[in-house]
Amino acid sequence: MIWVETLVNGILYGGLYGLLGVGLALIVGVMRVVNLSHGEFIVLSAFIGVSLVGAVPWVHPLVLIVPVAVIAFALGFGLQAVLINRVVTRPDPFAAILLTFGVAVVMRNLMVEVFGADPRNLPAGRLAQASAGVFGLHVGVLPIIILALSIVLFTGLQLILTRTRFGRIVRATADHRDVVRLMGVNPGRVYNVVMGLSLALASVAGMLLAMRSSFTPYSGVERLLISFEVVVLGGLGTFWGAMLGGITLGVAELVGLRFDTNAGPLYAHLLFLIGVLLRPNGLFRVRG
Amino acid sequence: MKAARWLIAIVAALVVVAAPWFVGEGALRFVSEAMLMLAMAQMWNLLAGYAGLVSMGQQVFVGLGAYALFFASISLKLAPFWVLPLAPLVCAAVAAVVALFLFRLREAYFAIGTWVFSEVVSLLISKTERLGGERGIGLPTARLIGAHWLEPLTFWISAAIAVGAVAGTYALLRSRVGLGLMTVRDNDVAAASIGVDVWRNRFIAFVLSAAGCGLAGAVSFTATLYVAPSFAFDPNWVVAMMFIVIIGGIGTLEGPILGVVIYFALRELLTVAFGLTGGWYLVGLGLVAIATMLFEPAGLWPLLRARVGGDWLSVRRHPPDREWRAIMPSTSDAERRAAEERSRRGSAH
Repeated sequence: MIWVETLVNGILYGGLYGLLGVGLALIVGVMRVVNLSHGEFIVLSAFIGVSLVGAVPWVHPLVLIVPVAVIAFALGFGLQAVLINRVVTRPDPFAAILLTFGVAVVMRNLMVEVFGADPRNLPAGRLAQASAGVFGLHVGVLPIIILALSIVLFTGLQLILTRTRFGRIVRATADHRDVVRLMGVNPGRVYNVVMGLSLALASVAGMLLAMRSSFTPYSGVERLLISFEVVVLGGLGTFWGAMLGGITLGVAELVGLRFDTNAGPLYAHLLFLIGVLLRPNGLFRVRG
Repeated sequence: MKAARWLIAIVAALVVVAAPWFVGEGALRFVSEAMLMLAMAQMWNLLAGYAGLVSMGQQVFVGLGAYALFFASISLKLAPFWVLPLAPLVCAAVAAVVALFLFRLREAYFAIGTWVFSEVVSLLISKTERLGGERGIGLPTARLIGAHWLEPLTFWISAAIAVGAVAGTYALLRSRVGLGLMTVRDNDVAAASIGVDVWRNRFIAFVLSAAGCGLAGAVSFTATLYVAPSFAFDPNWVVAMMFIVIIGGIGTLEGPILGVVIYFALRELLTVAFGLTGGWYLVGLGLVAIATMLFEPAGLWPLLRARVGGDWLSVRRHPPDREWRAIMPSTSDAERRAAEERSRRGSAH
């Protein structure tokens, strides 16, 4: 019974991991850039959430996700417009990696100086303790809400990309950056919106994760690694792959913690390395 | 010219040997740290600037080198510097094994793959009680070296490692392996088509870089007499290596030397002169690196080189163009190009 419970909790936790990674998967797919400051933006959105809770304590943190996501979208738009668009067209594939790494280091240390290094979390109130009994299994209500929210966002993203005019432009830009210019599309502007979306998704994940476990300014590293593992394990192209990758990692981590209580993300990392070893082709294929 | 160079080298060596008797302990420690940082940065430069491998996990070798030295020194009850050669050997062996699967990842994927590997090793060592777990271990065997010998020895070894890293990288890049690496970096399809073994060249660079980082890491932690996973596998090691190389000039041997000077000058300026915390220092360094990436992606050394002139440590080979024309002044352009082509092909094989 305890194993079934671990498995279910792993799946619920993994849905959140999938959400952490899907924003990264989006920008890797569209502009073939890995944003190494992804983790720092996840943590920054949680800090913004904490500050908002302090300002308006009568509003539930779940509702505050909306303004935080809007702020994150604006930050992503700005980051892309001001910095990344300047290097994204360079032939050197490392320019964007090194640039976003610089951004990550600056952000991490600014957060230490501004917010301090103490662990924080978002108080989810009574919801944090509430649990539902389903056929004798005890499952938290908050994790179920989180998984449901993840699925809604995944579906929404999929619909935007496949059914709307904007989605068509994004996919066309991903395939042929130079050809879409002939159709009157400015790839830089498309990238701005895509980066905004990527960080908005990341901020939702960051808020939800902050309700489940505490974070410090240094948590960004761990968040980035998990996001990246989700992208690689899930494979590129479909966002449901990212969801499955996240669930695999979530299950690996919680099962690992059952064996070994102070393992942290060790087993998720090990699973990732084994995945890389066993499935070298297709798993990390960048389109194009 | 050659005699002058030897003279400079001998004088420099004498200065290094004599320095501990004239320089204060603090300054000595500072220079040792800078020397080790230069060696690590040069190792990262070898990977990113020449082999086309951006590693975000080089700190794993810094830490492994330190743990190899501590473990061997304590279990064999030998003074730390006697077992120093073990550190690069362990790191090279680990790098050779881990390359087999990390090399399946490309570009950004390789970068983060190495980082994940570093985290895994760090977590595993944190769980190993024999190695002190999360609390870390001290180095009681350092007592086998006389107290007033530890600082000078660390300084001499650090200086030797720094010189060795620069000279070794220079020699490697002048060799067939280096030529192969640079052709791969510039155009991997063309390199493969003339028979350059891309995988093998990168493998050699990765293993050597790991050994260098391990050696420098082992000496660095011997100086502090204490190692713990959170310091040994701190991502800030690779942050420092990257920033030094990016600011100084990636893909040049002089770049990291300039970068180390800027790195430590900025640190002293911000933390000592302005009294800012280490966090603000990293923010400042990050901003300088971002600005460099945006406006001067080749780094500051190429700018400086244009001012002062001269190719000190250039590994560029010059085609025998001038001599050729002196001998055969009437050679047509087409013939000269053909001769250059021949010499290029000859050197690539």
